[in-house]
Amino acid sequence: MRTCLSDAVAPSVWKASRRVLERCGVQVRVPRSQTCCSQPAWTAGQPDQARAVARHTIEVFAGPEEVVVPSGSCAGMVVHAYPEMFQGHPEEEAALDLARRTIELTQFLQKHDLDPGPSRAGAVTMHDSCHMLRVMHESASPRAALDRAGCEVREMPGTDRCCGFGGVFSITFPELSARLGEEKARAAMESGAPEVVSCDLGCLMHVAGVAHRRGIPLRARHIAEVLDG
Amino acid sequence: MSTRRRKASGGVAYPDARGTLRERTVQALADGTLRGNLETAAASWGESRDAMRRDHGLDAMRDRARDIRRRNIRELPALLSEMQAKVREAGGTVVRAQDGAEAARYVTGLARARGVTVVAKSKSMATEEIKLNESLTDAGIEVVETDLGEWILQLAGERPSHIIAPAVHLNRGQVATLFREEAGTDDVPDDREGLVAHARVRLREKFAQAGMGVSGVNLGVASTGTVCIVENEGNARLVTSQPRIHVAVMGMERVVADWDEAAHILQVLPMAAIGQDAANYVNLITGPRREGEADGPEEFHLVIVDGGRGALRGTEFEEALSCIRCGACLYSCPMWKSVGGQAYGSPYSGPIGAVITPLLEGPASPTSRDLPFMSSLCGACGEACPVGIPLQDLLVRARARASSPATRRSAIVFRAWSRLWRRPTTYRAWMAGWRLMLRARGKGGWVTRLPGPGAGWTQVRDMPSRWPPRP
Amino acid sequence: MTGALVDDLVASLARRKASAQVMPAAEAARAAARAMADAGVARAVLADDPLMGDLGLPDALRREGIEALLWPTPLNRREMLGLEGPEDSCGVTVPRMAVAERGTVVLEASPGHGRGIDVTNRHHVALLPAGRIVATLAEALARTFADGHPVPSAVSLVSGPSRSSDIEKISTLGAHGALSEHVVIIT
Repeated sequence: MRTCLSDAVAPSVWKASRRVLERCGVQVRVPRSQTCCSQPAWTAGQPDQARAVARHTIEVFAGPEEVVVPSGSCAGMVVHAYPEMFQGHPEEEAALDLARRTIELTQFLQKHDLDPGPSRAGAVTMHDSCHMLRVMHESASPRAALDRAGCEVREMPGTDRCCGFGGVFSITFPELSARLGEEKARAAMESGAPEVVSCDLGCLMHVAGVAHRRGIPLRARHIAEVLDG
Repeated sequence: MSTRRRKASGGVAYPDARGTLRERTVQALADGTLRGNLETAAASWGESRDAMRRDHGLDAMRDRARDIRRRNIRELPALLSEMQAKVREAGGTVVRAQDGAEAARYVTGLARARGVTVVAKSKSMATEEIKLNESLTDAGIEVVETDLGEWILQLAGERPSHIIAPAVHLNRGQVATLFREEAGTDDVPDDREGLVAHARVRLREKFAQAGMGVSGVNLGVASTGTVCIVENEGNARLVTSQPRIHVAVMGMERVVADWDEAAHILQVLPMAAIGQDAANYVNLITGPRREGEADGPEEFHLVIVDGGRGALRGTEFEEALSCIRCGACLYSCPMWKSVGGQAYGSPYSGPIGAVITPLLEGPASPTSRDLPFMSSLCGACGEACPVGIPLQDLLVRARARASSPATRRSAIVFRAWSRLWRRPTTYRAWMAGWRLMLRARGKGGWVTRLPGPGAGWTQVRDMPSRWPPRP
Repeated sequence: MTGALVDDLVASLARRKASAQVMPAAEAARAAARAMADAGVARAVLADDPLMGDLGLPDALRREGIEALLWPTPLNRREMLGLEGPEDSCGVTVPRMAVAERGTVVLEASPGHGRGIDVTNRHHVALLPAGRIVATLAEALARTFADGHPVPSAVSLVSGPSRSSDIEKISTLGAHGALSEHVVIIT
């Protein structure tokens, strides 16, 4: 799954994810017809509109393969919200099936003990995205992947604290969102690592965007790009 | 003594909260002192609570606490009947109020009928919800909040910031100033011990005068008709033992079946609320004083408030009724930690407040319909909840139920969005257009102004037009 | 068994900022009176429990020059609240039980045992026969509210002196209830 944010802002992220997986010998298919997991509408309180888009996603990803997502948030959407969204709907079984097959990128690497090889990134600091941490219940797999790639993870204070992105929240309460983003950017700088990485592009776009506006010299990359070499 | 005077109204939230929710957050963000006080408070709670998880296995207690509370809510009508019968058996009076106004009317009427001039209160969110202080004050009755934090707020003319620690947003200097104004003298010490001792004497004067004590209820135990009031200061015991009348106001969902269940919840509550394995005082009260007893109230009244709760049973929001009002979700919430409880404009703030206030008031209530949207859905609340309420899921469901000009706009936007994004061709066309726009507007890798809904983004931050972004 | 419970209780009382002494019955009254005198107590309000006389507490207090009033006292409300008369008063209670794991004494209201004794006075001394200690809160509540026993009008679970964290989240003792709590465990 490419994710809509990667399509919109950073195609390099899904392309890097594909290379990482292929380097591990995984046979990767990136369905051209995919769109979005529908999270924006779901969290905006528009479940019917979300369902219409999610239905398409369920169709596109039908089949026996595991579905790897370079985003804890999109993966969490499928794994956690789809069962509720399709409860009592004709697609319920298919939704549950997709939820069972969906996994975040670094979780997939860890699950199958895959090694994409060394990275040149050196030291990084890791921002645990909320959905990776509290929906996918995962903080170990990205660190394990970075460690295996030879990166040093310098932890920032409050790495589990929300960066304030929150999807639609970022534009309905921009001031509050930006305040938390600025705190996250400063915490990342405090770690002493030259760049911040995360499993979620949304957080990074937001934190980097706030940092740029406030003149904080923060560098940010998605974990797939770091693992890509 | 200054007493807040506000007109009572049908809703739960404060009708006179100024500005929109977003405006209130901006205002709160500008208050550096507030922010510092909130951070300190949340951090100290976090440390104590982590000690409870480590030393007392708080996390392991959650499953049973959740099961107990879920079952209580399923069996609520039967539990309430039993509770009611047992309280009456013990010589107490039970009143079931459909809404807050009815509850406040009953208590005020009782105070008037008994010639009460001073009411001493212990901390209670339920009385805040039913706007009891306004009702009593309007009837010419003096109301004194005796919980130290609540009293400080009463002096300041402010609303509670936190379910458990209402004055958590004020520091020592601010408190000393308020005490000097109240006492009409500069002879008030500056240190914490001195401030606490000062308040103790001032409030004992009020206890000596009070003809009625009003408390909340943390837990009702149906099997014996007992109300449990948990506290640290000792003021709730004074409220329930000194005045001639004790009125306990309880939200209808706060009932457990028996003492086995109560023991578990009473252990979980202080751990989650204050990071201690016991509160200093737990007062277990069954009816008025008995024959031959020399203290304790001669009359005991239990007011059970529905206030929209009953209608939540059997809905997708039922789990919200499991709440034991510990305040853990507030302390864990990055939004609450940033703006404090007052910005929410309702007695119940933080994630649980953002869920239940619009549920109790109705989806179109202008004072609360925006609340569920003030969350990044980070899930820290659900993780902190000792009774396992999936607060982030409830927030999403509450958003779907909300009705306002903003949600109507959002419905139009997402209808269009959904039509474009459910088909690959239109999705790809949209993406191509978007990327073109980014490239056209990008300068040095950044877009500083976006049109349409994107303006909310670029109002406070830039949008990278190239990835990885350049610092 | 009792020994371990006593040790646990003493440890958890210390955690609750309460003090404790373990004493044989013959010395308990003198120790309690001594502790009160050291705290500057001028007047003691005693629960009307046979244990007081058995231990000889009224006499021990008299010897220390402390006025001893038996519940119910002739004091008016202002005197009870310490607004008039000696400020340094002490409530002496006889808990029905104590919970070892969390440092809690269980007070039951009755005609001889006012429900406000421990909070209206500045200090609180509890005289606790060691055999009344139980391990857990669940056990204490199960016994207190067991079928067949009349339900008391008021039960207070007291775990240490009164305290407030309402100013800057820092715990400060002596908010509305007792400033100090001392438990004499009688073996």
